[in-house]
Amino acid sequence: MQNKYFWWRFYKGWRIFIENPLGKTGVIILSVFMIMAMASFFVPLIDPMYDPMTGIDPDIKLSTGPGLTHWLGTDNVGRDILAQLLEGAKVAFIVGLSSAFFSIVIGTLIGMIAGYTGGIIDAALMRFADIIMVLPSLVILLILASLFGQFNIWIIVFIIAILRWPAVSRVIRSQTLSLKHRPFIEASRVAGASHVRIVLRHIMPNVLPLAFLYMTFRVTSAILVEASLSFLGFGDPSQVSWGMMLQWVWKSGHMFQAPYWLIPPGLCISLLTLAFYMLGRAMDEVLDPRLRKEGQTG
Amino acid sequence: MAKPGYILLKLVEVGIIFFVILTALFFLFRLSPGDPISKMVDPMLTPEDMAHLIQQMGLDRPMWEQYLIYVKNFFTGHFGVSFHYGEPVATIIADKLKWTLLLFTTSTLLAAFAGVYLGKIAAWHKGSRLDNVMSVSALVCYTLFIPWFALLLLWILGFKWGLFPLGGVLTPALWISNASVFARILDVLHHLMLPLLTLFIINLGSYLLLMRSSMLSVLREDYILTARAKGLSEKKIRNKHAARNAALPVITSVGLSLAFSINGGALTEQIFTWPGIGRELIFAVSNNDYPLAQACFLLIALVVLCANLIVDLLYAWLDPRITY
Repeated sequence: MQNKYFWWRFYKGWRIFIENPLGKTGVIILSVFMIMAMASFFVPLIDPMYDPMTGIDPDIKLSTGPGLTHWLGTDNVGRDILAQLLEGAKVAFIVGLSSAFFSIVIGTLIGMIAGYTGGIIDAALMRFADIIMVLPSLVILLILASLFGQFNIWIIVFIIAILRWPAVSRVIRSQTLSLKHRPFIEASRVAGASHVRIVLRHIMPNVLPLAFLYMTFRVTSAILVEASLSFLGFGDPSQVSWGMMLQWVWKSGHMFQAPYWLIPPGLCISLLTLAFYMLGRAMDEVLDPRLRKEGQTG
Repeated sequence: MAKPGYILLKLVEVGIIFFVILTALFFLFRLSPGDPISKMVDPMLTPEDMAHLIQQMGLDRPMWEQYLIYVKNFFTGHFGVSFHYGEPVATIIADKLKWTLLLFTTSTLLAAFAGVYLGKIAAWHKGSRLDNVMSVSALVCYTLFIPWFALLLLWILGFKWGLFPLGGVLTPALWISNASVFARILDVLHHLMLPLLTLFIINLGSYLLLMRSSMLSVLREDYILTARAKGLSEKKIRNKHAARNAALPVITSVGLSLAFSINGGALTEQIFTWPGIGRELIFAVSNNDYPLAQACFLLIALVVLCANLIVDLLYAWLDPRITY
């Protein structure tokens, strides 16, 4: 019965969501980027010179503006900017979604444990969450990069997830607290269900929709942090990402000479995060807006 | 007014959190590959200087003693010697801190005031074209990628139109010559404009959105209805009854979004070569200057915690309903 109610609510929510101007715009922008990410798989097949990382146009030595063979121009070693942009879309999705997913998993587990057990464990976990919440993740990633050297993209994803779960766990905790004394939980307890079973079978399905709402905000911050890190030159050197492209423009001194190279990557980062943020806000209006305390953290 | 007990409690809390961060950093330095001596003592120093530094930081002692010396050194301001500058880290950092604080406080305060003012108007005209334009632009401002936005401003306002200097904090020629104090202040302000504008626009978006949603929920309260029933003017209701209460959550959010602003601040400083702590941290990390990186990090953590403390106390002072 619980499930049927959930799906009904999901359908109703989706209707409101898609009629919401923010939600609609968000979905449209996101679809464009999805197509871009898909296209990145096919571009290098057309000609090896369109490979975003290693493809160098033999005829070009300097950065050139948009033209017929290179629609958005090339960078200073003759790589195609459009190909890099498409590859960047793929990387941004991978980084944003996986990092958000991991932080949702961590945040939901900790939030449920804190809310369900209460007492000293709850207090300790939430204090810990407070400490992590106030720390700027970019600065932490920088200090870690200085100590451990260059990170590969998955380590960056994991570190962002580990730094950005507290906001999720707070919301999940308060939701768990309100569920804890509902009759159906009491009933399963009387029926002899173990704590683990109550948390996983009865509480988790009820907090998951909320957790996924928070996922959109986590995606935004993960993409921004990764892009900033790459921009500063501490990203994964084997991956083309939008932040990395901006770093190349900046470091090669082309920022005042090559607007066709400077504008696209930053515009993409801004638009993609805007789209995810709009999705989050639209979903927020669908689900309970009063539950939301915090939408932005670095 | 906040009770002394509450202030004390908050102070103890901040102290504990800072201690946790201090300890975590100590262990990170020991866990990372390479031995701690190579991390804290410049390999280019003479053997005597090296021996002196190793002794001062207790790097030849057992781990627990190292830790105690590390804590003691922190509180006495001995952060070690920077590899790059060859000077004590404390003096380098003290010089950078003022620039960061100048940029950070001016941009946060200006953005908070403007955001509260505009958010109030947007919420008051909810659903109108004005509100829509304001909300959407705030959303766009908030999600702008800071380094990119900063580079665009630098390119258009700085390079193309030549309105502002391309970086730094002052014009050296002016400072060597004996220009008047007023001219010097004007020079710094001229350099401040672009980084300030970047951070102002980014922060403005988030404050506007927050104030708008906070104001909307306040407008549904009973006391607004009461004020209307009393026959107060609309302007009075908006400014005195609604906006004052709605601004409170915005103040808390300054604390919550601090991590976000610090990240943005570091990126902005880097692009405009503003000689602050954030840029120094990035510089130290790129050059493997570990003592400098460590000190910058601790200082940023301290700034974050202090600002949070101020926000907490301010909130308790402004909202008498809060009693702990």
